[in-house]
Amino acid sequence: MGRRRRREDRAAGALPEAIAALSRSLPAGPSPEIFRRAKFDRPEAAPALWQLLFRVLSPLATDKTGATLVPEFQVRLVKSVLRSQGYPRSVLAQRSEGNSQSSRELLLALSWLLARGPLLEQLLAQSRVQLGDQVSLFESVVLARPGPPASCMEIEGPVDLHQVQWLMGKLRIRWRQLLSSQQEHCSLLSKIHLYTCGSHSHQRFSHLSVAETEMLRDPDNTQQLLQALECENVRLEAALEWRRCELVFWQWMDTVLGACTPGAPAVPSQPLTLPVIPERGLGELELVAWELQALQEELQEAAEPRRAAWEAQVSSLGRGPEWITARKTLQETVEQELTALQRSWEQSGGPPQLQRPHRLVRSKDGTPGPQDLQAAEMIRMLRTQEASLDGSLRQLQDQCQQELARLAGTLPGLIWILAPGH
Amino acid sequence: MLPAECARRLMAEIQGALDACSERQRQLERSLRVSRRLLRAWDVDPESWEPAGTPIPEPPPGSETKEEDPAPACAQSLQDLKELELLTQALEKAVRVRKGMSSARQRDRTPSLTSASTVATAGTTASAPSQASRQAGNRASARPTKGTHQAMDPAKNLPAHKLLSVRSKTPVGAGAGTTKHEPGLRDQQTTAPSAPPRTTEAFTLKEKGTLLQLPVAFRKAVSKNSRLWAQLSSMQTSDSTDATRAAKAQFLQKLQMVSGSSRPSAAEIEAEARSLRKACALLRLRMQEELSVAPADWMEEYRCLLTLEGLQAIVEQCLHRLQELQAAVMGGLPEPCAAGKATQASLPCGGKADLSWSPQLLLYSSTQELQTLATLKLRVAMLEQQIHLEKVLMAELLPLIRTWEPQGAPWLALCRAAYSLLCQGGERFLTILRDDPAD
Repeated sequence: MGRRRRREDRAAGALPEAIAALSRSLPAGPSPEIFRRAKFDRPEAAPALWQLLFRVLSPLATDKTGATLVPEFQVRLVKSVLRSQGYPRSVLAQRSEGNSQSSRELLLALSWLLARGPLLEQLLAQSRVQLGDQVSLFESVVLARPGPPASCMEIEGPVDLHQVQWLMGKLRIRWRQLLSSQQEHCSLLSKIHLYTCGSHSHQRFSHLSVAETEMLRDPDNTQQLLQALECENVRLEAALEWRRCELVFWQWMDTVLGACTPGAPAVPSQPLTLPVIPERGLGELELVAWELQALQEELQEAAEPRRAAWEAQVSSLGRGPEWITARKTLQETVEQELTALQRSWEQSGGPPQLQRPHRLVRSKDGTPGPQDLQAAEMIRMLRTQEASLDGSLRQLQDQCQQELARLAGTLPGLIWILAPGH
Repeated sequence: MLPAECARRLMAEIQGALDACSERQRQLERSLRVSRRLLRAWDVDPESWEPAGTPIPEPPPGSETKEEDPAPACAQSLQDLKELELLTQALEKAVRVRKGMSSARQRDRTPSLTSASTVATAGTTASAPSQASRQAGNRASARPTKGTHQAMDPAKNLPAHKLLSVRSKTPVGAGAGTTKHEPGLRDQQTTAPSAPPRTTEAFTLKEKGTLLQLPVAFRKAVSKNSRLWAQLSSMQTSDSTDATRAAKAQFLQKLQMVSGSSRPSAAEIEAEARSLRKACALLRLRMQEELSVAPADWMEEYRCLLTLEGLQAIVEQCLHRLQELQAAVMGGLPEPCAAGKATQASLPCGGKADLSWSPQLLLYSSTQELQTLATLKLRVAMLEQQIHLEKVLMAELLPLIRTWEPQGAPWLALCRAAYSLLCQGGERFLTILRDDPAD
């Protein structure tokens, strides 16, 4: 009897502890009491949960911005991000913008995010204290895709193509500036690494990074870094504790969901009140559609005459049994090749190892660890990538040239003189 | 003139590209500022600077230095420094005078002493009329007699050496501090020809970078940090218990069932669009491969035909999928806002992020290599942006050219500008000559 009582007590105590661990590992985590109140959909629990979701879903939010931002903005952002992540419950979105409602829904949203993936680890990795000179090899994606378009951009007066040309020229200059600044940065980094050789006690490299050297130069910096590290350590410990005892939480969330069901019937997705001008998303899809359609036309142009020629030829080739088997084998090989081709773009791009940031380290002797990259190898890889991108750009340009020639060729009496050096 | 919609889209895209560039430039300049500052002489605060351990291979200075080294009161250390300066000056001078006067052996030691001391005081009083230095001069004048008396003893050169080494080991902070507070003293030093060549002794990374050491507290925190990360990632990869995973899956399923239909999220749509784009590029490449090879016999011909038709079928499928996506987008899935975009990048749906934490290094061996690597990275990014812009321009401009009235002057201007933008990357222009047949 006593033992069962103790087990129950332990179970009863385990839940608040688990939730407390969860809170400690999250930024702006509320107390376990808030969670309990949210289960019963109490309004006073809502603001804290809105704040938490805002901090979790918006990577730009810090303590400072959270306080100054208007709550409505937080609410709208949370709703919008949840929607874009595919959160199935539409109850949250359909309620009015009241801040004090739907604390239970918020709790469900949080649990959904936690259950889907390693949210805690991702958050911690995002805000991780970086001590080394980090280099990430696939950040180019961020640069290439321009940010969300300024859809409220005011165009004064009619826009001429000259303006476009001018802007493109401006872009070219900025790139050149970027390249030269980057060169200088590299040489400075290299010097710092060289001069501080022998100061670091790591087993595989011996020089300091810029962050570490800066810390030594400015003692205030040391304090800041230390504090940040200690905060992170606290959160890491909390995350470990959470991982050990999270089962209790999921069992409890089942009950929350149970308490929820009668009040929220399955609502079919209706067009929502927000304006639907998905310019960005549609623009992207449109571009791809346009490309695919162009490709389709080209394939058609290439395949149809060949098919006609083939049909004409077939009759003269006889129909022995080897003929049939030969055709069959050919068909099979082609099918295999094409399925392999199809699979190749369905895989995620790039080996995952290359997507994480690496610490830049200067070392004369090449004794790389299992997960280390060598600059020479990366250079080779980047060179091939550069060559292929260059090829695609030229191909596009050639395509344009042909198209323009075709369009302008309809006009007699015009001579097109290309610039020299082409 | 461009139609408004088209213009707005174009400008928005190009402006976005420009902004992305500027942002990167800003970040670079921030890092450059920090690095440049690190490579200059460090401006160290004498009170709080901790000398990095004792890696300096010199005889550990005596107790004098301990008292003079980061003294709690800045002023006191400055005073001491000044006095030391004057002392050493006087010593040097005295040694030289003594040597010079060894020929004139008639002189008594005391007169030489006094002359040395008078020289010293003369030197000090002839200094810049800053009050502090005069004070120091007055005080120092009392000292040199003691000091020089000691130093005069040829057998006991040690104190002199000690003082000299003390001077060179004076907290570099104080050295930098004196540059701030006592320009007068500096002048005095440089004017007095007997002054030993004194380097500014400010801390530069070049000379003393190898002597730096990370503070102990920091190192402990870092090792704890790495330990915790390793634990966390091993816990993730070795999987939480099956019960937990089952509980989570069950919860998700229940939530899904209770909440109604699911449609693809914007994040997923974006991912599909990306993969379709890749598909298009690969298909096109394959098509070109097929078309570039002339078939040798009927088998090759047949294979080529089958491949082309197979590619056609795949493109059909892709287009179909694309239409489905477009329908989903039109059917009420609003634009994810800016923050949502950024979140998508950082929270890949389904948790595909690989979080196994283990120290990962990128090793380089020379400045040249690092620069090449960075340049190539930037060039790849630049090419990707250029390709994207090229596609956007093509999609906007070519339809315009097709639909406009040919033969008009504005149309020709459009053609010319489009040619330069699309075919030459905006770098070169072509000339159009109207060739009127002679009537």
